[in-house]
Amino acid sequence: MFLALKEMRRAKVRFGLLISAIGLLVLLILAQQAIQTGLITSFIGAIEKQSAPVLVYSVDGQKTLQGSIITPPLEQQIRSTEGMGRTGRIGQGTFTVTVNDDSDNSDAAIIGYTDPDLGAPDELSAGRLPEGPGEAVGSSAGFELGDTVRVLGPDGRPSGNEAIEVVGIADDAQLQVTPTLFVPWPAYVSSVKTSNPDAGGVLPSAIGAAPAEGIDAATLAGRINESSPDADALTRQAAAEQTPGVAEVRQSFQVIFLLFGLVVPLVTGLFFLIITLQKSASLTLLRAVGAQSGLLVRSLMFQVVLVIGGGLLVGIALYTPLSQAQLGEIKLSFDVTAVLVWSGILLALGLLSAVVSARRVLAIDPIEATTGEGGR
Amino acid sequence: MRLALRELRRRPGRFGVATVILTLIAILLMFLGGLLDGLTAGNTGAIRAQQADLIVYSEASQDSLVRSRIEPRQRRQVQAVDGVSEAGELGSVQLGARIEGKGPRDLVPVVLFGYQSASAGLPEPPARPGRAWADDTLKAEGVEQGDTIRIGPARSPVEVVGFVSDTRYAGQSTLWASLGTWRRIQNENRPDARVAPGVSQALVVRAAETGDPPDLAERIDQATGGLTSSLTEDEAIDALPGVSAQQSVFNQILGLTVLIAIIVVALFFALITVERVGLYGVLKALGAGSGRLFAGVLLQAVIVTVIACAIGAVAALALDAVIPAGSIPFTAGGGRLIGSTVVLLLAAVIGCAFSLRRVLRVDPAQAIGGGQ
Repeated sequence: MFLALKEMRRAKVRFGLLISAIGLLVLLILAQQAIQTGLITSFIGAIEKQSAPVLVYSVDGQKTLQGSIITPPLEQQIRSTEGMGRTGRIGQGTFTVTVNDDSDNSDAAIIGYTDPDLGAPDELSAGRLPEGPGEAVGSSAGFELGDTVRVLGPDGRPSGNEAIEVVGIADDAQLQVTPTLFVPWPAYVSSVKTSNPDAGGVLPSAIGAAPAEGIDAATLAGRINESSPDADALTRQAAAEQTPGVAEVRQSFQVIFLLFGLVVPLVTGLFFLIITLQKSASLTLLRAVGAQSGLLVRSLMFQVVLVIGGGLLVGIALYTPLSQAQLGEIKLSFDVTAVLVWSGILLALGLLSAVVSARRVLAIDPIEATTGEGGR
Repeated sequence: MRLALRELRRRPGRFGVATVILTLIAILLMFLGGLLDGLTAGNTGAIRAQQADLIVYSEASQDSLVRSRIEPRQRRQVQAVDGVSEAGELGSVQLGARIEGKGPRDLVPVVLFGYQSASAGLPEPPARPGRAWADDTLKAEGVEQGDTIRIGPARSPVEVVGFVSDTRYAGQSTLWASLGTWRRIQNENRPDARVAPGVSQALVVRAAETGDPPDLAERIDQATGGLTSSLTEDEAIDALPGVSAQQSVFNQILGLTVLIAIIVVALFFALITVERVGLYGVLKALGAGSGRLFAGVLLQAVIVTVIACAIGAVAALALDAVIPAGSIPFTAGGGRLIGSTVVLLLAAVIGCAFSLRRVLRVDPAQAIGGGQ
């Protein structure tokens, strides 16, 4: 260990560069992990945070609020499912809005509900739930308490509709990476009619359902699907996970993580292999004067642990301020689990990659010190 | 050079690890690039098929086709602008399609377009109501010419009169019908998005002569009193939801893959150079220059990379041939394969350059034992 530390102190630049390189890779991995979590949360956060235990889409909607539309006969079928407790309408649309009468227009997803227990956010970080049609809960990414929002008509003007005041804030409650408002049903209908004066009847996009006592959400969802081939009922968590695009985002990031998982052991492994080759003459001499090969291998592994550990510290130190940032509409956060899991994985991969160098050390024959072959 | 080639021929195993890793990287690079090209094509085909000089949305739509709404009066204003040859209406609705032979829950997501102007990518819209051209990716779903697809909760029937290519939109297959058919199907299935006669979602503008599209866009938006937002085809593609984000994520992955290639080549040839220090010393003592020795290393890196890229390209082409149309959005284009090869060759040269310093520092006297 003493030799290992001394060598690192003497070759500060070489080991410093490797620690920096690994630190940057750790930063990239953790940043990508935070972006993945933030992206998925801002994509489906509103589905996860809304209060209905079961969401019933139409099969035509392909598991999205935007594509789903519940016709009156389908709504009736859903309501009459055995084991149904309560139901409420949920509507969703994306609209062009102005916030606080700002001259710049922006996008807002508006989710309307008839029953606050079946569609409004289940938890607020500030404020309260709406008490009238002119009030809303806003996602913390995009809105602040007291903001007034106006939906614009096709001519780019609010066309006299009532302003919606943000009276509550919910964290991680965005839909489709768009600032999101949860409003009572009349405000949603008014928004649809403002944005499209030709709109006919405004039908719900989905039905929020709660099971009767003694029935769980998954059972109720199964019963709804059995009762109508046009209904697509999912528990809240399943609705979030099965939203089109979520699996693709996860897969894309998994490819990135796999690449990183290859790079770190490749860099570490080849670095220590080169070092081992360079100092093979010294290692042979050490073996010749009595140093056990186990001691030399332990010394090598100690250096690997120090280098990876140093890289992890550098990476985490850089990641901490970055994780407090917001990228556009995507809010990042410090993920302790990700830090611990990746630290374990990278340490294990680093040690694994040093096995080739360790084999080289073990293969050193002390007799070569007397023949001069140890230097090769 | 001769020595480097001879070493490659006599001891191919020595370069095996690097060739295998670089082949994997080449396959990954070409597969990811092909996936990006396929995804981009699947998102943007409908816009590219218009071959328009400009696409005009309503200003309040934030350049979203679904939210855009062009009134007949605005269309007349656009057509009256000097330099506009044609302003065809365009509308779309995304619905689930029920295809014969599939289960009641096995719907295929489609986008039905209503359009007015034919282009090189699109024939004239079918004259009879209820008929449409289908994107040829629907063939993979079992759709044939003459089939009737029922779309949306209203099960609106649409008869397929033939197929068109490369017209996908938002990653979904498309149907191309007359404006009347589109309005009827939109109103039957989406009462909240009902459109009145004469109203469309966008205008496909073709300029009268080869003018400057950005200038024409400005004049159109002025003529409508700022109620429209006119975009060139490239701008309209960039404005499609997710396209820019997708390209940025994929380009990041591709950049990272190239970085890995540089690191692999650099470390591998650094390792080989370390092992050969004695040999280089002897060669230098015999009069070989550092440049010549480094050229040998470079040649070996280039040959290993070319072999890796050739295997990668064959694998990508084989994958493209094997994947059924409409399943994985993968396209192995010549440009992408050549581009990936060039990038990897550059990576190999850059990676190899890290060994240059070590080759230059080889002291013939020390290397052959003079330093001992």
